[in-house]
Amino acid sequence: MPPIIEISGLRKTYSRAFRQPHHALDGLDLEVAAGQVHGFLGPNGSGKTTTLRALLGLIRVDGGTMRIFGEEVPRRLPEVVAKIGAVVESPQFFKHFSGRLTLQLLAESAGVSKARVEEVLEQVGLRDAAKASVKGYSLGMRQRLAVAQALLKQPQLLILDEPANGLDPAGIHHMRELLQWLAHSQGVTVVVSSHLLSEVQQLCDSMTIVSRGRRIVDGGVADIIAGHGDSSLTVRFPDAASLPEAAEALTAASGSLDAAKSAVTASVDRDRLVVRGAPEPSWVTKTLADAGIYLSELRTEVKNLESVFLELTGTAPVPGRTVQIGESVVVPQTAPAEVSVGDVSVVVESEGAER
Amino acid sequence: MNLFKAELRRLARRRLSLIFGIIAAAGVLVLAGVFWFTSSKGPTEEALAEAQAEADRMNDENFEYEQCIEDEAYLDQPDYEWVESDPYYEGMTREEVCADVFGVWTAEDLIWTYTFDFAEESPLLLIGVAIIAGLVMMMLASSAIGAEWSSGGMANLLLWHPNRMRVWGAKLGAAAAVCAAAVLALMLLAFGLLYVAGAARGDVSGLDAAWWDENLPKFARAALLSVGMTVLGASLAMLGRHTAISGGIIAGYLIVGDMLVRIAALALQMPFSERLSLYTWVTAWIDGRTELYDWTDLYADNAEVMVITASEAGVLLGGIVLGFAALATWAFQRRDVS
Ligand SMILES: Nc1ncnc2c1ncn2[C@@H]1O[C@H](COP(=O)(O)OP(=O)(O)OP(=O)(O)O)[C@@H](O)[C@H]1O
Ligand SMILES: [Mg+2]
Repeated sequence: MPPIIEISGLRKTYSRAFRQPHHALDGLDLEVAAGQVHGFLGPNGSGKTTTLRALLGLIRVDGGTMRIFGEEVPRRLPEVVAKIGAVVESPQFFKHFSGRLTLQLLAESAGVSKARVEEVLEQVGLRDAAKASVKGYSLGMRQRLAVAQALLKQPQLLILDEPANGLDPAGIHHMRELLQWLAHSQGVTVVVSSHLLSEVQQLCDSMTIVSRGRRIVDGGVADIIAGHGDSSLTVRFPDAASLPEAAEALTAASGSLDAAKSAVTASVDRDRLVVRGAPEPSWVTKTLADAGIYLSELRTEVKNLESVFLELTGTAPVPGRTVQIGESVVVPQTAPAEVSVGDVSVVVESEGAER
Repeated sequence: MNLFKAELRRLARRRLSLIFGIIAAAGVLVLAGVFWFTSSKGPTEEALAEAQAEADRMNDENFEYEQCIEDEAYLDQPDYEWVESDPYYEGMTREEVCADVFGVWTAEDLIWTYTFDFAEESPLLLIGVAIIAGLVMMMLASSAIGAEWSSGGMANLLLWHPNRMRVWGAKLGAAAAVCAAAVLALMLLAFGLLYVAGAARGDVSGLDAAWWDENLPKFARAALLSVGMTVLGASLAMLGRHTAISGGIIAGYLIVGDMLVRIAALALQMPFSERLSLYTWVTAWIDGRTELYDWTDLYADNAEVMVITASEAGVLLGGIVLGFAALATWAFQRRDVS
């Protein structure tokens, strides 16, 4: 099946008075396959919202092509818009209308039935708040109204920019189930941009990470996590004095391992020993037991999306210094090789802050 | 079509529409009330008799008049020779001549009665109602569009209707339709109420075919002007993306800009400087024609005359409205919405 969204070489430049023009999108590529929940990640200001706005015809772009359902947008957007539901960054509504009226006006304007309005209000949990005016809505209620607005047309493609923004834990949980249900049982393609990485890890099938207006990596979520950030083992001993000894033993033993494999490193971290590159946890226990050292605890550190994200985008915290906006990694101009779903390609070239 | 209906409903459901509607209807009611209470068909017998007595008393003190009546030769004095030769006084009785020359009080002089003449006075009032209704609708339309921009609702609407020309068309169409309906309704209401006031306490004669022939086109043009103002207000709000900007530009121009332009024209000694004032053109549009006089040539017997007809004024005013509408269309089509 062809991708539902195909974006290639998208550019958007904001000209600034007396300053260099700012390339918000700098040749961005994005493909989203049908029936998936696709995460769209990137540090603040990396161009996610700009991409989604461009895709939905809200802003003009300076180059590149975009297709949704195989139709070129924004030119053919009016033809496909009935199938697209979208929320773009902290949506605002006319304050003096009630939530219900807001939805009813949209429904009426597009010939959607009134019954559907009640349905989505129920679905996002706004049934009882629907007749209050939006002025009195909390952040999360407004977010829910925005999602209701996106669901109203029964879209085949749902584009949500930070939908979890302001939602309470129950709301987030419900949103996750709703999106997964839509994608996996209703065949809806969902694109979510979010900074809640644990959420993305649970929710998304595939993802794209961007930095400074270019794609750094895309592919299946599990593949990306597996392909990055080596796994580590944490080992503790009854007696902290045996730490250096254990480290030495492990390093020595790694020499006898397959040379093709990366070398085992063991470093002392306060009262623990962090072991990287070990083939198996059992290899560690055996090696240490052979050296006459007995461990009290061995834990496999599960790699999570957060560490992968920080590593890939170059925004990992440095002690005593805040990473500034626009300091994330720069992807070289040459586009990364075509990536197919399930297989990961990463082209990262870290360039320090440009200042 | 759906979009147009939704836009109509959006306008109708705004609280401001309700408030303005009530204020406008109340204004018309007050207007009719003023005429109801000030107009009367004439003084009562009693008041008339009282006034007559007072007038008689005052005339008794007017001894010149008394002398004129009593002394046949009084008017032959050299001061009053002109009376004899003035054809105006031919055929008048002596009393009438004396009364006219020396001024006597009558009961009508002492009693103030005002009779509302519907045929005479209502056209101006109705045109005023139409224009004020137009101003109100202009504010309503610009606030509807300005609020949609500043609230962020526009971005949301565009997610549903990416064809911006359709969105703009529906909004403009809805504003113009609501304006036309409101102006028509208010004019009918004002006509009805003023007619009732006139019938009960004034004079409603003279509403013949000629009256309608003369005034109906003026009413129609006033209503059209109101729709034009609404379109202008909506366009400026679309350009400025804010209600206050739109209202400020219009009020600022009408109050300050217009004056500055006229002062500049006077300073440059431009002939027919009034033609630079928007008010001149609006008057010409509604009245059908306006004549401007140029007295700069002090030795000429007659002033130079410039005539502005309704169609010329229509072209100019329509051009201004369409110009701004086109500018707003162009800006909206290209603008980044965020
Ligand atoms: N209207 C604008 N004028 C100038 N620059 C803009 C404008 N909108 C966005 N930008 C710039 O474009 C870049 C991308 O912004 P964008 O909103 O797409 O970021 P984002 O990835 O959505 O960030 P976040 O995670 O904070 O939502 C930023 O550097 C921002 O400064
Ligand atoms: Mg954003």
